[in-house]
Amino acid sequence: MKPEVNVLVLTGYGLNCDTETAYGFELAGAKTERIHINSLIDGSVSLDNFQILVFGGGFSWGDDHGAGVIQAVRLKNNIGDQLLSFVDKGNLVLGICNGFQTLVNLGLLPGFNGDYTTRSVALTFNDCGNFRDDWVYLKTDPESPCVFTRGLDQLELPIRHGEGKFYAEKPVIDRLIQNNQIPLRYALPDSSPAKGQFPWNPNGSIYDIAGICDTTGRIFGLMPHPEAFNHPANHPDWSRNKEAAKRKGEQINTGLTPGIMMLKNAVDFIC
Amino acid sequence: MPYRLEITLKPDLSDPEGMSIKKKAQEYFGIHIESVRTIHIITIDADLSEIQLKQIQDQLFTNPVTQISSFTPLSLEFDQIIWVGFRPGVRDNPGATAVEAVEDILKISLGKDEAIYTSKRYCLKGINLSSEHAEIIAARILANDIIQQWKIYSKESWEPETGIGIIIPKVILDHKPTITSIPIDSDNTLKKISDQRNLALNPNDIPIIRSYFLRQDVAEMRALAGLSEPSDIELEYISQARSDHCNHNTFRGLFKYQEGHDKPVEIVDNLFKTFIEGPTLELKDKKEWVVSVLWDNAGAGRFDENNYYVITGETHNSPSNMEAYGGAITGIVGVYRDPLGTGKGSRLIMGSYGFCTGHRDYNGSLKPRLHPRRLLDGVIEGVRDGGNKSGIPTTFGQVVFDKGYMGKCLVFVTAVGMMPSQINGEPADQKTTSPGDLVIMSGGRVGKDGIHGVTASSESFSENTPAGHVQIGDPYTQKKMHDFLLEARDKGLIAFITDNGGGGLSSSIGESALLSNGCEIQLEKVPLKYEGLDQWEIWVSESQERMTIAVKPEHVEEFMALSGKHAVESTVIGQYTDTGKLHITYEGKTCAYIDLDLLESGFPQWEFDAVWHSPENRGLCEPVISPPDNYEKLLKDMLSRPNICSKEWITRQYDHEVQGTSIIKPLAGAERDVNSDASVIRPLLTSQKGLAFSQAIIPAYSAIDAYHMTACTIDEAVRRLIAAGGNLDHIGGVDNFCWPNIQYDPEKNPDGKFKAAQLVRSCRALKDMCLAYGIPLLSGKDSMYVDGHLAGTYGETHKISALETIQFSCIGVIDDIDKCVTMDAKIPGDLVYILGITRNELGCSEYYEHMGYTGLNVPHVRTDEFIPVYKGLQKAITQGLAASVHGIYRGGLGVHLAMTAMGGNIGMIVDLDEVPVENELENDRVLFSESAGRFIVTTASKNRNEFEDLFDESICSRIGTITKSKDFFIKGKDGRSIIDIPVHELKKAWKAPLGGLI
Repeated sequence: MKPEVNVLVLTGYGLNCDTETAYGFELAGAKTERIHINSLIDGSVSLDNFQILVFGGGFSWGDDHGAGVIQAVRLKNNIGDQLLSFVDKGNLVLGICNGFQTLVNLGLLPGFNGDYTTRSVALTFNDCGNFRDDWVYLKTDPESPCVFTRGLDQLELPIRHGEGKFYAEKPVIDRLIQNNQIPLRYALPDSSPAKGQFPWNPNGSIYDIAGICDTTGRIFGLMPHPEAFNHPANHPDWSRNKEAAKRKGEQINTGLTPGIMMLKNAVDFIC
Repeated sequence: MPYRLEITLKPDLSDPEGMSIKKKAQEYFGIHIESVRTIHIITIDADLSEIQLKQIQDQLFTNPVTQISSFTPLSLEFDQIIWVGFRPGVRDNPGATAVEAVEDILKISLGKDEAIYTSKRYCLKGINLSSEHAEIIAARILANDIIQQWKIYSKESWEPETGIGIIIPKVILDHKPTITSIPIDSDNTLKKISDQRNLALNPNDIPIIRSYFLRQDVAEMRALAGLSEPSDIELEYISQARSDHCNHNTFRGLFKYQEGHDKPVEIVDNLFKTFIEGPTLELKDKKEWVVSVLWDNAGAGRFDENNYYVITGETHNSPSNMEAYGGAITGIVGVYRDPLGTGKGSRLIMGSYGFCTGHRDYNGSLKPRLHPRRLLDGVIEGVRDGGNKSGIPTTFGQVVFDKGYMGKCLVFVTAVGMMPSQINGEPADQKTTSPGDLVIMSGGRVGKDGIHGVTASSESFSENTPAGHVQIGDPYTQKKMHDFLLEARDKGLIAFITDNGGGGLSSSIGESALLSNGCEIQLEKVPLKYEGLDQWEIWVSESQERMTIAVKPEHVEEFMALSGKHAVESTVIGQYTDTGKLHITYEGKTCAYIDLDLLESGFPQWEFDAVWHSPENRGLCEPVISPPDNYEKLLKDMLSRPNICSKEWITRQYDHEVQGTSIIKPLAGAERDVNSDASVIRPLLTSQKGLAFSQAIIPAYSAIDAYHMTACTIDEAVRRLIAAGGNLDHIGGVDNFCWPNIQYDPEKNPDGKFKAAQLVRSCRALKDMCLAYGIPLLSGKDSMYVDGHLAGTYGETHKISALETIQFSCIGVIDDIDKCVTMDAKIPGDLVYILGITRNELGCSEYYEHMGYTGLNVPHVRTDEFIPVYKGLQKAITQGLAASVHGIYRGGLGVHLAMTAMGGNIGMIVDLDEVPVENELENDRVLFSESAGRFIVTTASKNRNEFEDLFDESICSRIGTITKSKDFFIKGKDGRSIIDIPVHELKKAWKAPLGGLI
């Protein structure tokens, strides 16, 4: 029997994707718990019982003073050491949207040279000037150490954010590229790089960066929402694909979606 | 000592907020700006050490990668500077989160008088940019003087060391809370005081109120409690409870209806009972899925064995009209508290919006408080932030432009929630208060917000007067409370819950105390935003994000501990009793002692004269228009009309995917840009069941007859639901009436009797349609007085009344979401069908409007004819025979064939000769008639017989084929090609007016 994989999904303070994120990990074969940030801080729940920690989407502290900033500060000041030892033990950390913003503000990403406390990249206001909900085409980097994107080549996921533009100084970007720490980039429908073109690159991210990982590949943050593609019918082309398949006498794929495959990669890594 | 921190983006980073201001200044006012840079200002009114300041500057307020900051003014280049900050007492959400974060980092608690405020400074560069330009940008793009203050600095007036100085918008009310007795020696005295204090007591209610307080037994009982004349807080309570908002006096009124001046008077006693409650109760008995209607904050229907959905909708018109962003965000966040306060509490699962405003490009002589374009921008952003930050998907929305909404805009917001059918073995939809239960207020604090709505606008502003009447919703505080209360619910800690909306504690406690039959409230326990509120103000304040909860004494400890974990403030402010009395004390002294059943004792019913004039008698007739010969240009122009053209820029600002439930999204098709007929979500992730949701608003038809406006609106909402895969056996409805003033006054409202008749007719249609389609009304609200007085050119004012408007919402359960269908044509070779009969019904159509006419022949809803069609279509969808289904709505067949083709990004060839019509119709009538009850369906050619067998051949006709070539081809009645145009050109025309907006 496979060992049980326990996933902790953070809740509270305006976070909001916890239910579907927990469901996504259940589909991926893990046991999940939704835990309030304060339950970790007051010690009533211990990170020791978990192998995957998820910073999910939402608007922690209303996104005031920079998305993810206050959440990062609160965690760092209260359980910063526990987070570092969690990472140290070889566990996995995933940050989705607001969670990605939190990871970069904590300094867990990009984690150059095992430095998990320095802020060197940022997610800032979309160039389009607005919050935007759309599905995007994504291309993975097979050379990346990222655990979560293994075996995925190209996929589509929804984005929903106002502050998703990935920004860093050029030397930092170069280093990310060099280290293969950019497992996920916005792409055109043919999976070639979006090269900054709106709406394929929906926010003006430098180098079309949609997600980065640390050098070990065990910490991963991304703006798109894998958990929102938990059912084939979440996909915007679902009804069109269904009709096309029916004409050919085929069934549409009802297996795990690419969004859930991303989570399953994490679960499989622990097993 | 206060400190001011300025923060801005590093110079090499683009400033999207600045760019958006630059763009608006150019587009809206023709003011050319080279660049705008935004500086965020944090003003810290607290005693902190230098080390502490440095710590929060570095850790909290400055992103080292993207920002720079300084406690002295940042020196950015500028030609004009605009500073914008809140007025005192206006909700400053980032200021509040800054306090939370600072306290957390520094491990301190700010003192009672300490606070943090946020504001912004914009540095504008541009040759020839004058301070007048800056004033326009400040007043008409950046700020609204109701909630904000601003200052303009030129190069000459800016002092680089001082900057904006230190501005602290702190509320200082140098006032000792006072209870005032109100003399009731005569009706006249009370009337005068009511006017002075804005109590808005109805003159007919005054004798009843007086006679209560003059009764000997009442006087004796009150003497024991230490009271004689009524206190202000008591009269405020009565006034709130008797208001039209809370008591629905209009809908419960007596209408004397006549079909014409000389026609007999027909008495309609109580619109609500006659046309809403009656049919709904009748249907509740027939529909086993109806769980809870007509009493709670939202109605409930059965989703599956273990779960109920709940739904309600309301409007937030007047506040949005004054302060679009604040009004709209307060509206959406407010409606989300209704499901939360339904049963023992429901989780929010979706929301929707309907905006009605004047035309975006209005440039006439009347001067609305906010230009419609700015008003719409603000409303869109308000509902966006309120919905997105609540983590609730906004899956549906509509916008209607009409000049009638220049007087007052409409902001419809609808909320859907879900609750388990049982909690710990108890029915979750049931709740009550019992003697001994504690009264708890959770969530935000109480300030002078929302007291009497508009009274504050008549006061002059000083530097420290709170802006009372317009509020800014705080989705963050509410989301924390939402999570907390659902956890408390699941632990069985909630006996009763309701929200604090209109009327504040006065309504929520007043109404919930009726169940236990009494309460005692210690008003000094209510947490305040600032000192100095009178007792009556605490009692009626509409400060947001608050719920009132009844908790059993044995549960209170656990409830409070949970509240603490979620960082939500909860306070015990009294207890429920069975004394029959509303008993309020303040620091031990009684300030209200009143019989709860007073409100049921013989207040007079409102009365209205309602006189209908038929459209013919009003001189309406059909226009004389010969058929056009340039149909291609006509169709493109129709697609560009404001009420038809693409509004993707709005839709994409709303998160419709959060919670991972999205099945039919607001935008569908090959290019994911054409509006869906309805939305479908899968609210329980472990289930294949779905919830379909649709809405319609078609006020235009009211210009002919509000009966048919209402009937067509309901029919459209029903068809939208059916088109996506909904089921006629399970449709719940929500009616939202928005009506101009119907009280006749020869000078102020000369057509009041006609508008009253329109209301009676509309209610009749509501009943007729609900009974015919079998739609119980799960919820509904009315908002009267949709009128405004706008200044004209010569110092005169004009009263502008909105068209009589109803928004109708439909919700239904889908057994298997895999059967759902989208509206876009999908595969070349598919057959194109029309279902339903096209008639000469172009009265108030988009086509007639486009040509400048009203007409007479408004579309009629023929339920006997339509229902078999809907049932047939439902079968076709369940059997998988329909590749696409799209209803024919505003704009008619031509417009909606284009939508089907644009959705698929695919061509079609259609022969108008094949369209089933009543009598002979010219091409333009066939293309643009808005006859109800019709659909466009595409299906694989192999399904032909099976599909056609489901329908009577008189109403189902194959009119064309989907083609490989991307041309939209229409053959006219004489067999001649009248339209042959690439689909992408149609789409270009459809996106031309607003497609450039993001």
